[in-house]
Amino acid sequence: MLEVLEQARLLVVTGKGGTGKTTVAAGLAVAAAGRGRRVLVAEVEGRQGLAGLFGRAALDHREARVAEGVHALAVDPDESLREYLARYGFAPLARLLSWAHLNRFITAAAPGLGDVLLVGKVWEAATREERPGSGAYDLVVLDAPPTGRVVPFLRAPETVAELARVGPIRNQADRVRDLLDDPGRTAVVLTCLPEELPVTETLEGVAALREAGLPVAGVVANQVTGDQLGGRAGRLAGLARDPGPLAGAAAAAGAELDRAALGTLVGEARDRQRQVTRERRLLKELRAGLDGLPLVELPSLADGAGGPDEVRALAGHLVAA
Amino acid sequence: MTPLAELARSARIVVCCGSGGVGKTSTAAAVALWAAEHGRRTCVLTIDPARRLAQALGLDLLSNSPRPVKAKGLPARGPGSLDAMMLDMRRTFDEVIERYARDADQADRILANRFYQRLSSTLAGTQEYMAMEKLYELHESQRYDLLVVDTPPTRSALDFLDAPDNLNELLDARAFRLLIAPAQRIGRGYLRGLNLATTAMTKMVRRVTGSELLAEVGEFFAAFEGMYDGFKERAGLVYDQLKHPSTAFVVVATPDGAALREAAYFAGRLAADRMPLGALVVNRIHQAGPVPPVPAAARKRLRADGADGRLLADLLELHDGLETLAAAEQRRVRDLLDRVPNLGVVQVPLLSDDVHDVAGLRRLGAHLFA
Repeated sequence: MLEVLEQARLLVVTGKGGTGKTTVAAGLAVAAAGRGRRVLVAEVEGRQGLAGLFGRAALDHREARVAEGVHALAVDPDESLREYLARYGFAPLARLLSWAHLNRFITAAAPGLGDVLLVGKVWEAATREERPGSGAYDLVVLDAPPTGRVVPFLRAPETVAELARVGPIRNQADRVRDLLDDPGRTAVVLTCLPEELPVTETLEGVAALREAGLPVAGVVANQVTGDQLGGRAGRLAGLARDPGPLAGAAAAAGAELDRAALGTLVGEARDRQRQVTRERRLLKELRAGLDGLPLVELPSLADGAGGPDEVRALAGHLVAA
Repeated sequence: MTPLAELARSARIVVCCGSGGVGKTSTAAAVALWAAEHGRRTCVLTIDPARRLAQALGLDLLSNSPRPVKAKGLPARGPGSLDAMMLDMRRTFDEVIERYARDADQADRILANRFYQRLSSTLAGTQEYMAMEKLYELHESQRYDLLVVDTPPTRSALDFLDAPDNLNELLDARAFRLLIAPAQRIGRGYLRGLNLATTAMTKMVRRVTGSELLAEVGEFFAAFEGMYDGFKERAGLVYDQLKHPSTAFVVVATPDGAALREAAYFAGRLAADRMPLGALVVNRIHQAGPVPPVPAAARKRLRADGADGRLLADLLELHDGLETLAAAEQRRVRDLLDRVPNLGVVQVPLLSDDVHDVAGLRRLGAHLFA
């Protein structure tokens, strides 16, 4: 992941729902900032998922500093529409109608236009350096829609532009496409869990993104159970039948553990080891399916609270990976 | 009896909602199975089940109507029964159009319209709303004592609460005409300001979207003429049924921070809309067994005492980790319950296998209803 963190201009993070997409996006942003880059992390689905990860109640359309070197933004469709119309000279109209109403109408009349506005805003932030006089970023991390929706989302400008062969929409769609298709500037990262459905959906997602010509940079497998026992796991079945050797060690060390407590300890370790074995099999399947694409494994974190501490810990693991 | 057992015995409709990947479909299916095995004629509607669970329930997209679940271990004859169906959103919308159209010709014109096709598949909440529409249709048929549905894992799984209003606002042709009609057809007087705006609006939409789209929109509303009132009335009935005390919403979550925050949002949103909130199900709870504390000095001696001692010290560390995790999860669940008064909660421990067959659903059910 290191290369991507240092070189990409736009990092698109997607994944099946519940696989830690937003947390990994935040972790990647903090990791890149730790390497001296000015980072903006943006969410586009109005879920306010990023806010809690940075210890804030809410984020809005203003880019707010949330950590050392990191700004965050919740892209708002109504605000994006306002900016968009202003750019094309419709500001007076914008004052006359309710934004929600206007947006709903446009979204219904030209589905995908809402996505165009969101993608357009992200593109604007990622290419800002090219225009002097505005706060620029080295990297924009996009907490994108889930795998099933990400291709139509990223390709929305293209889809809508098919209706308009010339003009401002077409021009912008072309420039967005240039950025998204450029493996030198854009990298798509998928998040995954070591579970059956997420692995399948990740492989399908990678295929769909590649087919659409989008540069996939790698997969982050989240919440991988660590194997603390290694080869010793083989002893657990025997110890479950007869915890004698452990009882001996406990007595010698003065640890007050009766057979029931030892049985509990061995049982818990066996459950965990079964989990480790299952996850290994799934990660092997995943790695085989990825065919050389980088796969980063992140450990399960202590308590899964989903706050700034967890994001910092994740960032540490991402940099080390 | 858990709060869920009470619902499965008495409710007519159970709606499961929650974010993606929390075991919503399995929970819905387990509730339906349990009710069927307790003598109720039950149907489970699902949106996007995991492949193996779908196979186990004999679900396929082809029918868009309930089919009996044929699986080993199900009681062969009544009084209870279990049907299942996988919802085809688009087809459900088409069926609604067919139902309210004056004749086949009107239905065909709408179904062939490109604006309708986009509307039916992309407007936020429309798909969720169609799930509710199908639910209502099955409810009206009185074929079942209990209907269980899981909502789609979309960005806001409760969009269906707004969907009737959104849809009505859109389908209300008067509003649309104001926006798209040529200026001269709109009246005089106070409308003149709006008139200017709509002319500019028309130009803008043309410029942004291409003009053929507006023609399609016009054709759609011409074809839709006369259907609006039926549509609106129906949406009201569906909404009323969801609010009825015989309906229960079940919020499904896992004990991690993000899923519980989403669950709190769902619960709050349902309360704000005065929807009957039935229970909270928290899947995949970690539990640590009873092990007396072992002081640091003893642990140090264990580490110094050969392979068995080191192994025992490592087992103790794994147990500590599990205890920390379990305690953090319980704290988060309590925090949520503090914010949502009078919500019954059912906690399901982490099961050792994915749920992908009737036996798995029964194992899950043992925790949901014990």
